[in-house]
Amino acid sequence: MERRDFLKVTVLTGATAALSGCEKPAQQLVRFVPEQDLVPGVAVWKPSLCTLCSAGCGLTVRVMEGEAEVVRKGQLGLIKMGLAKKLEGNPDHPINQGKLCARGQAGLQLTYHPDRVRGPLKRSGPRGSGNFQQITWEEALGEVVSKLQELRSQKQAGALRFLIGRLRGQRRELIEEFLKTVGSSPAMVFDPLDEPVLRQANLLSFGRATMPSFDLAHANYVISFGADFLGTWNSPVAQSIAYGEMRQGHPGSRGKLVQVEQRMSQTGANADEWVPVRPGMDGVLALGLAHVILKEKLRPTRENGETLIAGWQQGLPDYSPEAVEKTAGVAAKRIERLAREMAAHTPAVAMIGGAPLAQTNGLFSALAVNALNALLGSVGTPGGMFFTPRPPHAEHEWGGFAAASDFAGQFLAGKLDDTHVLLLYNANPVFATPAAWKVRDSLERIPFIVSFGSFVDETSAFADLILPDHSPLESWLDDIPESGTTQAVVSLAAPAMLPLHDTRAMPDVLLQIAHQLGGDAVKSLPWQSFDEMLQASISSLRTAETSPPVDPEKFWAKVQEQGGWWSEKMRSDAKQTIASVAFGGSASKQPAFKQPAFRQHGKPESALPQFDGAEHEFPFHFHPYVSQAFLDGALAHLPWMQEMPDALSTVMWGTWIEINPKTAAKLGIEQGDLVEVRSQHGKLQAPALVSPGIAPDVIAMPFGQGHENFSRYASGRGANPMTILAPLQVAETGSLAWAATRVDISKVGRGKLALFAGGLRERPSELEHR
Amino acid sequence: MRSKIRGLALVLVASAAVSAFFLKRTSSANSGKDQPSIDTPEVFSPAHPTILESVKDFFGWRKTPVQPIAFTHKIHIEHQVACTTCHKGVNSGPVAGLPSDKLCMRCHAFFAKDRPEIIKLTAIFNAGLDVSWQRVYGFSPSAHVKFNHAPHIRAGVDCSNCHGDVKNMTVAVRAVNLNMGYCLSCHRAKGVSTDCVTCHF
Repeated sequence: MERRDFLKVTVLTGATAALSGCEKPAQQLVRFVPEQDLVPGVAVWKPSLCTLCSAGCGLTVRVMEGEAEVVRKGQLGLIKMGLAKKLEGNPDHPINQGKLCARGQAGLQLTYHPDRVRGPLKRSGPRGSGNFQQITWEEALGEVVSKLQELRSQKQAGALRFLIGRLRGQRRELIEEFLKTVGSSPAMVFDPLDEPVLRQANLLSFGRATMPSFDLAHANYVISFGADFLGTWNSPVAQSIAYGEMRQGHPGSRGKLVQVEQRMSQTGANADEWVPVRPGMDGVLALGLAHVILKEKLRPTRENGETLIAGWQQGLPDYSPEAVEKTAGVAAKRIERLAREMAAHTPAVAMIGGAPLAQTNGLFSALAVNALNALLGSVGTPGGMFFTPRPPHAEHEWGGFAAASDFAGQFLAGKLDDTHVLLLYNANPVFATPAAWKVRDSLERIPFIVSFGSFVDETSAFADLILPDHSPLESWLDDIPESGTTQAVVSLAAPAMLPLHDTRAMPDVLLQIAHQLGGDAVKSLPWQSFDEMLQASISSLRTAETSPPVDPEKFWAKVQEQGGWWSEKMRSDAKQTIASVAFGGSASKQPAFKQPAFRQHGKPESALPQFDGAEHEFPFHFHPYVSQAFLDGALAHLPWMQEMPDALSTVMWGTWIEINPKTAAKLGIEQGDLVEVRSQHGKLQAPALVSPGIAPDVIAMPFGQGHENFSRYASGRGANPMTILAPLQVAETGSLAWAATRVDISKVGRGKLALFAGGLRERPSELEHR
Repeated sequence: MRSKIRGLALVLVASAAVSAFFLKRTSSANSGKDQPSIDTPEVFSPAHPTILESVKDFFGWRKTPVQPIAFTHKIHIEHQVACTTCHKGVNSGPVAGLPSDKLCMRCHAFFAKDRPEIIKLTAIFNAGLDVSWQRVYGFSPSAHVKFNHAPHIRAGVDCSNCHGDVKNMTVAVRAVNLNMGYCLSCHRAKGVSTDCVTCHF
């Protein structure tokens, strides 16, 4: 496709999408003019962004002229327009480099989903029932504006709260600016996939509350404590690409991967060694490894004449391999061998994520792994860990840690009681919090709730108004990925297609509300539409790496054409970048590894995890994990994801619990039996999957299913492990310790288990030879 | 000999259609109930939905499509409107496009506004929808034919070679039976490729 044509398409769609926020619905339907832009039967590719997980991959969207089935003015019919047909990775994007995971591919179904909210809705039944009636945008916006004006006239602006999911970039800036101008407190963030514990540990260790990046491509040895970095954790596509490089990119040497966990994840299945550690003992094991390295002087313990890690001068006497064997359940000989291996095969890097951080001692474990990395000399060095640099125009990070504990604090302390109006965007806390948090009750007490969701889910079923957002492919998007590359990245994309339904972009609606409210709001949010704001924010990058600055219009066109802006300088000298951004954010200030933090939090007494439920009554550890298909459950409405067999168990269209063959035999449970799982806080039922990849005293179950009200594909399917979790918190962070519940199980009958393959073992006779 | 092969083929087609018939039944059993649907199958399949359909397809019998608006080609061509004015992309891409009603309204906002068919067109346009034109030509999905218009136009093949005397038609009808024999006779006469993968892929 010619560049000129591309610009024509973008300018046309951009201009029409820009109008959509402020015009009457009928006028929004400015038709894609196929005669001018699309040759029938010939596809064009346009850049976009994936919004489904925290990685922030770049997309290219295959757009072709087609006929869409739509409802206009209550009349069903066809319209001819450019339609997104297929998603692929953007080859130029530094995060995913042209690759895309299965979840990203299914992002297309967000647009064409039959249960999308097709226009503004007003609640007609009781709260939570999911009964709504259609209204017009004018009525809906009028109602919101009058509520906000009421709050303002009563000087109760603080009674407006905004609850959002994972959101970075200008949409986040817009929301925060909007809340500031109306005098409300900053947005509450609810993102169950975020790792606030790791952010807090990184803040204490390195001075940055940021998710880490790993230079896996140049590592020789990787030890991962529970982080499913090839499946779901952090930036899986970027990490998978780098992992491939580590294994096959250096002729003659093949990096080693050791996975420490209780239930074999996809990453565990790829590992050379799988180390089943006792739940919550990951930090203890990391310090056991450090003990061996210190004792045998395998690594230097002083740097520039200073002790590397204060408190380690005595060589961690409490964590001898024999002592660790007793608590962590890993043989002393194995600990010694692993420690010698990793010290001999530098660069070696350790990472931690998932269940270990969701134990009550998660912060301790994360700090221990950070310290192990410092001892291995792999912080801010090639083959080690580092932090992805921020783009120069957006140094400010919206703190994940503080915000997450804020959410828990607000709900648990009942502080939402003075909230009169709650705005909701991309967050579903009713589904993804334990029943004991009583989120439902808190929502019930809020007089007026407005959701910007594209789907009715458990939380927006409580809304009084639903003002549906465009699908991502129909929206102006931007993002600042946090992890996965050495380059500072700003992703940005124009709509790939025009909206199918009577929806409006959330940022445009907020701008319109701000303008209707008048006063200060207009001054601080002068933009008519969100793309003006995007253009204004990114134009400062014109001068970032080129002088003289690029022409603004040319720069804006280039950013749209390539799908964002990324630093070319940092690509050409990755080594320098890794070193300079390791600590504190800039080369000039490197606070180095903050020793006192570890001394304070790394004491043996904070090392041991606590569990909910007595061992004799609840003999099993309950290990929920992030689903490969649905993540925290936000993707359960996509039929392609329901249809996708789980990578290890091959289960489709349902949930299951994983149980060790020995445990199953002892309890008389066979594959496919319906099993009841009980904790102190509830019970659920799911079919059993007998799997050798799990410790005998652990029961595992994926998150994501068990929705009550989330489209025709997810509602009433499977069970939700959240419902039986204890409301324990990770010490000193307030984050939910979702892996700290103990359970008991029993067989209750025969269940349904849809397996793509016949079972984990193709031939049963294989078992007999063992 | 030829009739024997034809008979055998008929048996094969019929047996395929029987299995397709059952497949269709299971898929329609769990189709969405509350969403209105335009006449598209629930699950894409190149199979014939019923035995009768497969027999019809085999002998090339087709229903005459009923267009939502009785568009007359004759009048438009008499008024010097070229084929490519409406069927965009025919000389540059694989598909001869069908116009969106926006294009129709460029003229019909001013001309012939009082005619009953134009009143129908205007109503669809005002609803924000497009005319759902029905296909006149096209190949059965089971034939796996990928036809590309542009090379034919570039080679100077006139539209009427394959679409008949459209300039004297009112509503377009299928004037030429585009079976494989028809395509091959022309390909042979012009000495161009008759390789299978030229058309079937």
